[in-house]
Amino acid sequence: MEESAREEILARLRKVPKEETPVRPVLPPARELSLDKEGLVSLFTEKLSRETGVVYRAADRDEALDHLTEIARTENLKRVMTSTDDTILSLDLPAWGDRNGVAVSTAADYVDREEYKRAVFDEADAGITGADFAVAETGTLVTAHSERQPRLVSLAPILHIAVVGIDRLVPVYEEALNAFYGYGGRIPAHVTLITGPSMTADIRATSFKGMHGPRRVMVILLG
Amino acid sequence: MKVNTRNFVQTAEREMQNQYARAFLALMPPVIAALRVQVMGSFPDPEAAQELGRAIRAEAVARMPDLLEEFERNAVAAGARVLWARDASEANELVLSIARERNVTEVTKGKSMISEETGLNEAFKNNGIEPFETDLGEFIAQQLERPPFHIVGPAINVPVEEICDLFMKKAGMEKATTDPVELGYAARLFLRDKFRRVRMGITGVNVAVAETGAIVNVENEGNIRFNKSSPLTQVSLMSIEKVVPTMNDALHLVRLLCRNCTGQGISAYVSIDRGPKMKEEFDGPEELFIIIVDNGRSRIYEDVKMRQVLRCIRCGACLNLCPIYSKIGGYPYGWAYSGPMGQVLNPALLGVDDTSDLFNACTLCGTCREICPAGVDHPELFLYYRELEAEGKKMSSGRWEARFFKLWGTAAAHTGLWRFFYRLVRPVVARYGKEGKIKAMPGPFEGWFKTRDLPVPARRTFRDRWRKSMSEKNLSRGGME
Amino acid sequence: MGAVSLFIPCTVDFMMPEVGEAVVRLLRRLGVEPVYHEEQTCCGQPAMNAGYPAEARKAAKHFIETFGDDEVVVSPSGSCTAMVKYHYPELLRDEPSWHGRAEELSNRIYELSQYLVDVLGVEDVGASFDGTVTYHESCHILRRLGVSRQPKVLIKKVKGTTFIPMDQADACCGFGGEFSFRYAFISEEMVREKVDHYLKSGADLLIISEPGCLLNISGYLSRNNPDKKALHLAEFLAGVQEGGVK
Repeated sequence: MEESAREEILARLRKVPKEETPVRPVLPPARELSLDKEGLVSLFTEKLSRETGVVYRAADRDEALDHLTEIARTENLKRVMTSTDDTILSLDLPAWGDRNGVAVSTAADYVDREEYKRAVFDEADAGITGADFAVAETGTLVTAHSERQPRLVSLAPILHIAVVGIDRLVPVYEEALNAFYGYGGRIPAHVTLITGPSMTADIRATSFKGMHGPRRVMVILLG
Repeated sequence: MKVNTRNFVQTAEREMQNQYARAFLALMPPVIAALRVQVMGSFPDPEAAQELGRAIRAEAVARMPDLLEEFERNAVAAGARVLWARDASEANELVLSIARERNVTEVTKGKSMISEETGLNEAFKNNGIEPFETDLGEFIAQQLERPPFHIVGPAINVPVEEICDLFMKKAGMEKATTDPVELGYAARLFLRDKFRRVRMGITGVNVAVAETGAIVNVENEGNIRFNKSSPLTQVSLMSIEKVVPTMNDALHLVRLLCRNCTGQGISAYVSIDRGPKMKEEFDGPEELFIIIVDNGRSRIYEDVKMRQVLRCIRCGACLNLCPIYSKIGGYPYGWAYSGPMGQVLNPALLGVDDTSDLFNACTLCGTCREICPAGVDHPELFLYYRELEAEGKKMSSGRWEARFFKLWGTAAAHTGLWRFFYRLVRPVVARYGKEGKIKAMPGPFEGWFKTRDLPVPARRTFRDRWRKSMSEKNLSRGGME
Repeated sequence: MGAVSLFIPCTVDFMMPEVGEAVVRLLRRLGVEPVYHEEQTCCGQPAMNAGYPAEARKAAKHFIETFGDDEVVVSPSGSCTAMVKYHYPELLRDEPSWHGRAEELSNRIYELSQYLVDVLGVEDVGASFDGTVTYHESCHILRRLGVSRQPKVLIKKVKGTTFIPMDQADACCGFGGEFSFRYAFISEEMVREKVDHYLKSGADLLIISEPGCLLNISGYLSRNNPDKKALHLAEFLAGVQEGGVK
């Protein structure tokens, strides 16, 4: 039955003569493309801050962990869920957690999907993840999801902390997405572009952060 | 969604008296319009960026069947199940059968205008399945059983007291409050529980990318991401015109959509799905169904003059600048789409007979056409709908109007007749005048006179005066006026 | 300068002939002798907008016959000019020779301020007015013809005039032809807001380049604020004669 729906729809669409496709205008290159590294950091920080995101710089792993320690203290973090991408693994968060009284878990630690969901929805005070790219254009994190980068870790907890290598900071979205959908490699099933916390203004146009996703986003730029 | 397009005048009159609605309409649209100008300025050449959007959408519509096949091929290669539905009942039945096969009794829904068109929520309820809208504005509008007030803020005009009552009755809120933030938090708790437990999630699609077989969604709340992460089965509904050629095209349209819709550089979340979750992923849907819905669009496509309607990307920029929408809000348009967007879409999808006021209650000011990033020429479509309506009318009630204009056309082509009719009509109208002004006159023009005067039509028209001065000129041999 | 052919829309011919007279006076003062074809009737907009393109086509053909040989056609109406320029070629798409003539004519027809500034090259028309003036940007003139700078520069060059911009000068006044009486309850709100902005600007006079808008706004002023006036651009530039400002 669906077969005939498909055929019928396509046949109708093909019945009429095709229209000409207009010529596309050439756009001048985006201003962001001419920024140097510090310029990109500046722009990324400005854009994300305007969405109430917080951006930290860390020269190295130790500084990044110092930031995390401070955040854990001020936010009173007791349990966190993390991804297991290379950046996060390089921080050895389980060890950091032991030192600072924070229980650190990952999706693989749970016996099944339901247990993992329970933990990430109800127990985690924060989700700590890496990101594949940071885009200066709008202060955006671009992430290809996988078993090392579960979807809910940056979505369900009320606080999302992302650690991104500064070498992954790019000017515009195209650079990030062409890397995923460009030339071979494992094409991700799910890619997210995250710009600041979850929000709505649906009730009386009053801004409210943390509608369904995190209320706050913090980004540590590493390197 | 229930069609209520025949009550335009009544509803508009009522809404214009509604102080809440008027307060928002005075504030929100101009603010978004101003933000839009600002954020479009981040393009080095905003006009070229706009033109590119128009070119992409024109190409997408021109190549639609080929692009749909390419999209399907690539989506299937990525593991998605692609289904096609000709109309509302086929679309609803496909979703229902997926739900039934999996013994689903509750579903969570992200915003999907095509599902509003098909009445999917109604179909669920009639089949013992409870749908939960998870977009806050849609959640409120759904529970109150109202059409959207504005495409971005469907319930933005609803007073907080009403929302409080609603949440206490239907969203498990225990303590009364009129604080928008507390209300938002109550909704978060209620819906979070649904995200956690519900087995099937439903989303719409903002852009479908032919080149990769990926679907793209744009949102600020995170409810769509939850629908794509927590349930085991994801069903995404897209109407046929959502498809575009490439990923870069999709990115450009996402930029334009966000900037035109809410004045944001980009929304808080953009999610791109290519197939269901990868085998090793801990979350995400094990099955992804993409349902391609026609619901009248291939018929629209066949009409070469109407086809451009399909370029619309639902950004809502036209609403924010429409001088008429800004007086009456979304309700009078009576269906899923309001403002100029509704004026072009509703008649195309529902027929011109039931939507007469939508394309007639317009001054053709052209602001919508100017701002549209997808290249829809709204005024041109309104004129076309009026033409279709007039043709239909010739058969019935509008006979007198058709006869009037036939006479009018003949007169306009024959100077003598034109002048003659003026001579005939002028004294009849002039009777209502006093001291050069008409303050009241019965008949079709009656409405004008409630707050306005009209000059009495001239006894000496411009032509008369010209002839007189010309003949005087001749008499006095070249005297200037 | 070659002859200029006057296209006087029916709204002007019947409802405000003094505007047409002002156009004649103004052009003569600038050394241009206008020609007026008495056979002209209507551009066809009312039929077009009501959904009767076949009837509009009849008017269009009569128009092309009337004006087809003129070098330059000038009109004190933007919507009528736009009708000829942009709708005629489309209306006559299926009749190649008419279509050709329509395309040709579309290059030779101008709204008044467009003609004065862009074709005649005049900005100072030698008028004077002691007071403050504001301007309503009519929809078809602004958005269809892209004319905005021209009327304002003409206004500003009138000796003694101070130009004050009005809030939301480009907002639609609510005329829209049939809309003004068929959906009067919305039209009223729009013209009320327009007049509000005029009054708030504090200007002595409101200048309008479009007859339809002028009827609408003047009509509202006459009933509600009879001390405040609106004038057609042609009248303002020509200097009002008989009876002073209406």
